[in-house]
Amino acid sequence: MAYVALGDRAIRVARPAGVSPRAIVHLAKSWPGVVDVVVAREDVAVYFADRPVIDDAQIAALASATDDGTPVREHLLRVTYDGADLDDVARATKLSVADVIAKHQAATYVVDTMGFAPGFAYLDGLDPALELPRRSTPRERVPAGSVAIAGRQTAVYPFDSPGGWHLLGRVADVTMFSTHAGPLLALGDRVRFTT
Amino acid sequence: MTSSFHVERVLGLATFQDRGHRGLMHAAVPPGGALVPELLVAANRAVDNPDDAPCIEVQGRLSIISTAEIAYAIDEQPARSWRDGTAIDVASGSRRCAYLAVRGGFVGVQASFLAAGPRFRGALLCAGDEPLRTGAAFPSANLPPVRRDVLPTADIPPLSAAREADRDSDVIRVVPGPDLDAFAGDALDILTGATFRISPASNRVGTRLDGPLVPRRADDRERSRPMVIGALEVPRDGKPIVLGPEHPTTGGYPLIAVVASADLGRFHAIRLGGSVRFAVS
Repeated sequence: MAYVALGDRAIRVARPAGVSPRAIVHLAKSWPGVVDVVVAREDVAVYFADRPVIDDAQIAALASATDDGTPVREHLLRVTYDGADLDDVARATKLSVADVIAKHQAATYVVDTMGFAPGFAYLDGLDPALELPRRSTPRERVPAGSVAIAGRQTAVYPFDSPGGWHLLGRVADVTMFSTHAGPLLALGDRVRFTT
Repeated sequence: MTSSFHVERVLGLATFQDRGHRGLMHAAVPPGGALVPELLVAANRAVDNPDDAPCIEVQGRLSIISTAEIAYAIDEQPARSWRDGTAIDVASGSRRCAYLAVRGGFVGVQASFLAAGPRFRGALLCAGDEPLRTGAAFPSANLPPVRRDVLPTADIPPLSAAREADRDSDVIRVVPGPDLDAFAGDALDILTGATFRISPASNRVGTRLDGPLVPRRADDRERSRPMVIGALEVPRDGKPIVLGPEHPTTGGYPLIAVVASADLGRFHAIRLGGSVRFAVS
């Protein structure tokens, strides 16, 4: 079975390996009747205006979807590293605070999926030395702009929201979700952090 | 002619809503929009507005004053005239919410996704720019009237379907899955065999159901999956949550079923504390 029904207006398929998320969105959005696409870690959902009309050949084509060629956007985000969990992260990873910051800044991250809240981008590429499980008790309120890590990912919270990630700091001079321009980050974007 | 409005009193939650937006879920922006689009559309049509003009969605009670004479409509009731200085009361009553439309619409209300940002603040998510507070004032009324016979109506279910929700117990059709393998063998029978209660702890993100527990398999591996409005996600505690217009676009809990799109407005019209039954469509 190539796909499963996600209600009567959407389908879900296994995410093909090695294909960029924005190539998947680009191809699936070109199918007749498609209004939305969500790329998750292991699954892709395709949403239709009416009953899904789809065949196995279309699904199979996702595995060889190619990017639309628009240049990948790169962001350099300035961070004030004063997060509430910085000391705890240093302790848990047996690193100094300076090393935690240096390792967080050394990597170039890629937006692999988006979810949780509008404009919330899961950034792949965190140094394995910083890998930690989520906090055992999530915070009820994480301030907008917080820069956080969990597992092998980092992210910037676009809004005040509940959250279970470890807070390293906050972005200094950028709005992650503007009510005028929408989300700053998009699937496939590259992100680096600096001080 | 424009007039302005003054919110005399809000009990519960009152927000501006339209029919939501599409095409942004890949950026984690859910559709948003009215809980019961059928009622929003009915109110707009009664005052010759476009179907998707913003209305005030009232969960509870709203008392509002207009500074000038204007036509208004609530839900599927006929349009009425509002004299200056008089207060109008909107109450969700036997339903979960009610819609107030004014002829010409509310000016300056950005109910598009561009206004979606602040509504995702915090665990208790509110819609529109901000919930309406007692004392708030805003202008209205400059959308041109729309001739009703040019409205695209094909995708609006008959309003009688929404009226059905006045009853306390209602059968809502669901499409099983897609994660049945994450549940115990009798889980779908439990879901469709019992009466559930709409928990008061529900909001526009999700509607919580009180009733028998829907058992998950102990060995199921959770993973972040794409979500959809109407999805019945089930946390480990076995208490289903039906995702609403402001749902996260991805989530970690498996889905036992998804509410049929034709029944979604009817489901969201059931008052908090009301009851619901599910049947496989």
